[in-house]
Amino acid sequence: MELFLTYTIVGLVLGSVYAIAASGLVLTYTTSGVFNFAHGAQAMLAAFLYWQLSVGWGLPVPVAFLLVVLVLGPLVGVVLHRFLMHGLRDVAEVTKVIVTVAVLLGMVSLSQWVWDPTEPRKVEMLFGNSASVELFGVRVRYHEIICLVAAALLAIGLRLLFTRSRLGVTMRGVVDDPDLLRLNGHNPDRVAMASWALGSGLAAFAGVLVTPVAGGSLEASMLTLLIIDTFAAAMFGRLQSIPRTFVGALVLGLASTYLLAYAPSSWDWAGNVKTALPMIVLFLVLLVLPQDRLRGAQVRTRERSRVPSVRQALGWGVAFVAIVALLTKVADPLMHGSFVAGLAFAIIALSLVPLTGYAGEINLVPLSFGAVGVIVAYHVGIVGSGLASRMGWVGLLAGTVAAALVGGLVALPALRLRGLYLALATMAFGGLVSTLVLTEIHPRSWFGWEGAIFPTGTIMVPPVQLGPFDLDSDATAMIVLAAIFALLGTGIVALRNTGYGRRLVAMKDSPAASAMLGQSLVRLKLGVFMLSAAIAGLGGILMAASAGSVSTDAFMITASLALVMLTVVGGVGYVSGALFGGMMVGMGFALVNGTFRDLALTHDAWSPVLGSMGHLFAVLVALMGITVNQNPSGIVHQLCGGYRPLLRARPVLYVGAGVAALLVALNLLGVIGDWWLAIALFCVVALTPVLGQVWMAERVLPPEQLEAHAARRRVLPVERRGLDAPMTPEERYDLDVALGLPPRPLPSHDVEVALAGGVPLKEAVRG
Amino acid sequence: MSETLAGALGVLPEELLAPPVLELVGVRASYGPIEVLHGVDLTVRAGQVVALLGPNGGGKSTTVKVACGLLPLTSGELRYGGRKVDGISAQDTARLGVCTIPEGRGIFANLSVRENLWLATGTGVSRAAIEEAAFGRFPILGDRRNQLAGSMSGGEQQMLALSRALATDPAVLLLDELSMGLAPMIVSQMYDTVAQLVEEGISVLVAEQFARTVLPIADVAAVMLQGRVTAVGSPAEIDADLSTTYLGG
Repeated sequence: MELFLTYTIVGLVLGSVYAIAASGLVLTYTTSGVFNFAHGAQAMLAAFLYWQLSVGWGLPVPVAFLLVVLVLGPLVGVVLHRFLMHGLRDVAEVTKVIVTVAVLLGMVSLSQWVWDPTEPRKVEMLFGNSASVELFGVRVRYHEIICLVAAALLAIGLRLLFTRSRLGVTMRGVVDDPDLLRLNGHNPDRVAMASWALGSGLAAFAGVLVTPVAGGSLEASMLTLLIIDTFAAAMFGRLQSIPRTFVGALVLGLASTYLLAYAPSSWDWAGNVKTALPMIVLFLVLLVLPQDRLRGAQVRTRERSRVPSVRQALGWGVAFVAIVALLTKVADPLMHGSFVAGLAFAIIALSLVPLTGYAGEINLVPLSFGAVGVIVAYHVGIVGSGLASRMGWVGLLAGTVAAALVGGLVALPALRLRGLYLALATMAFGGLVSTLVLTEIHPRSWFGWEGAIFPTGTIMVPPVQLGPFDLDSDATAMIVLAAIFALLGTGIVALRNTGYGRRLVAMKDSPAASAMLGQSLVRLKLGVFMLSAAIAGLGGILMAASAGSVSTDAFMITASLALVMLTVVGGVGYVSGALFGGMMVGMGFALVNGTFRDLALTHDAWSPVLGSMGHLFAVLVALMGITVNQNPSGIVHQLCGGYRPLLRARPVLYVGAGVAALLVALNLLGVIGDWWLAIALFCVVALTPVLGQVWMAERVLPPEQLEAHAARRRVLPVERRGLDAPMTPEERYDLDVALGLPPRPLPSHDVEVALAGGVPLKEAVRG
Repeated sequence: MSETLAGALGVLPEELLAPPVLELVGVRASYGPIEVLHGVDLTVRAGQVVALLGPNGGGKSTTVKVACGLLPLTSGELRYGGRKVDGISAQDTARLGVCTIPEGRGIFANLSVRENLWLATGTGVSRAAIEEAAFGRFPILGDRRNQLAGSMSGGEQQMLALSRALATDPAVLLLDELSMGLAPMIVSQMYDTVAQLVEEGISVLVAEQFARTVLPIADVAAVMLQGRVTAVGSPAEIDADLSTTYLGG
């Protein structure tokens, strides 16, 4: 009995922390329509800040605690709302997801920059780890009591807030109809900001409380994912009901504690299941959620993808393979490895183009499907042994098919889900792969087959051999992977040009309309999901084989999120966007780190600054994700769009090409290193269109933009004002003043000024 | 200048000397790249009921949206009480004393009746005063004060929406398709309430597809077609021309 009580209390404490975090998540989602994937990262950052204030700088614990929970946490929420979430109400679901994912990645990178991850840090419980009382014969620590009491008070407080306070009722009103709220004289933005402040405060609160409960050591990824577990609790309340969210959180906390406590000792997988439990629950809850009604209205999106013809795609494909072949001759052989990795990741990213770019559905964990491919290929596809062992085409095929089948299995129950819910379901699947499959590192019996799924946690995957092509040489691998990428890319473009591709796009634009045209949405979604999973599986095998070995870490959810984010940044509607995303993940970080490491070696005095450049880059990459809202079609598309008008201004192109040639020449002469060449070339490519706009503006810019530029520069003499264009209020004001007339007031958005001397309209019009 | 001259000569009746409560001058507005109002001129004077008539897609609702600040105008002027307020936000028009009941029930479906009324206090009226005014005029709302607004009948929902106009003492009432989806008896009850508000001195702009329901209480009627006001006149004049207007004859 005592044991049961102890476990119950431990479970309830965990559940309480879940409840605190999940209620913050629900709060922000309902009032702003943005599901905050960064909620866990905010909690993590708060825990680090708390450590910094209390341990690092020695502030008294209560001061540090209150500062983090009441000031810094809400402040982060206010900043996030003001600069990001504010503009996200009417954008595509993909954009909403990517922006918050970018915030998540940015916060994790930031924390690793500021707080060196190799240095261990511990957070003690409030009042110390040993301060406790005895209740019913069970020792309960003060910290645990605080968690329980805080959750209970929060439940009551939120109830009162939502039913008894005007702010709370207004928050619920925002959910119903923000415009109507405006007509009632409230400002929905201010209400949403208040809810972001409150939600972020709750994230901070949960972060500070959970760290000691989860063992006390501060680790960025672990803490972030821990709070992501609360997604399951939030989904219990269908992202709407706070009471149900609380019930879900407590059930989750208790279930995972009991599972570990009462599982027979022979169930050595119980620990993994406990870790996976929130994701299992998340997946199950998503499955039993009532079906999302098909909405008649067209989904409003600003992404516009030009559809290239198959001929164009083929041309680009051939050119791409040729360029890569040239690179194998020119570039430093040391760079080949990261090039191959980049290409492999680009193939994985390609899986997102039909799924997200065409069909508008989100898969947040392409790498997990890659993992499925790798595992199957590893078990069935290795030919030969020792150094002569190779991954044959049987392995590639088996892995690809397996990934497709698993993709189908995941998608089948999730088919009726859309947008955010499907994204969360894939994330739950990713969690399951990480916690249940990739942790199977010891041999056991599986229906008669003896062995480990992912032996020792790191598996050696030999190079791929395809007929005459042995990918053991990096140069061959580069060319073959480039060819595979080009082939798949052309295939995807060809697919987009068929009736099937058009049906996918129709489903994205208006599911209701496409259902009424007689399309089977289920079959469409299932098909595209399997196709996507197959490509991810193939890419995963190529990635693993080119790296030689992969460990569990390679398939972490955060890695998947980074790949998805960068692909969307590049332009998920285009094959080139996938290339951008893959190259950035597979090569970008290696490139930047390599450059600055080389620099640090030669410039000793600057090494601390140069060393942190890698961190800076990681944070900057995350910031790129944040810009998705401004540029939903992707930067590759924007870059190409910048080049099109340059055809009318050839000298600019010649200058760009000249600088590029000069850089290559300098590289060949040994003046600048390969890494520098790559970075400089990237800058030249990005800046040439800008040069065109500055230097040959009249040929490059569209007429209306030129006109706007000219108008800004032109200062009209007084006597011409009001002739060519209507007078602006400012000009009229100036004129009145110049003529000595009583000036009419400038238009003002301020109510007080709009009213004559602050008199309400009613009195004003009745004199 | 002309105003004072006209006043001195006694040419114009007194009420025209005060600035109009609501005035739209050459208003253009667009949804994205598509312009839907192509220079709308409309004037609501103190105490008047102006009926804005016309077929679907004529721009009536858009005009109301511009007037209440939900949709910014791209050119032209929006004036309240003679003051130019282009670019005013919807929450500021509300605080200025403009009560707007948008198309399709101006209520929060997932809030209770009392909570709906509570939100109307954004304009600075006390909670008790609002409940008193609403429940006094529509006792049925008093009986259902704790019921979710979305679960009530269409007529009751519209009563709740109108309660806001009753209780917040606005200067201008903007109504968009008040009759939509309601039984004729309820519609006439709604317009009785509007007529009562007018007696208390409120000016009203009402956009309505079914002209006959609103013309009896209107002082001025305007017809909108394809984003322009095509005719303005007394209700009788407009009524006579209505069939040609609608059928384009």
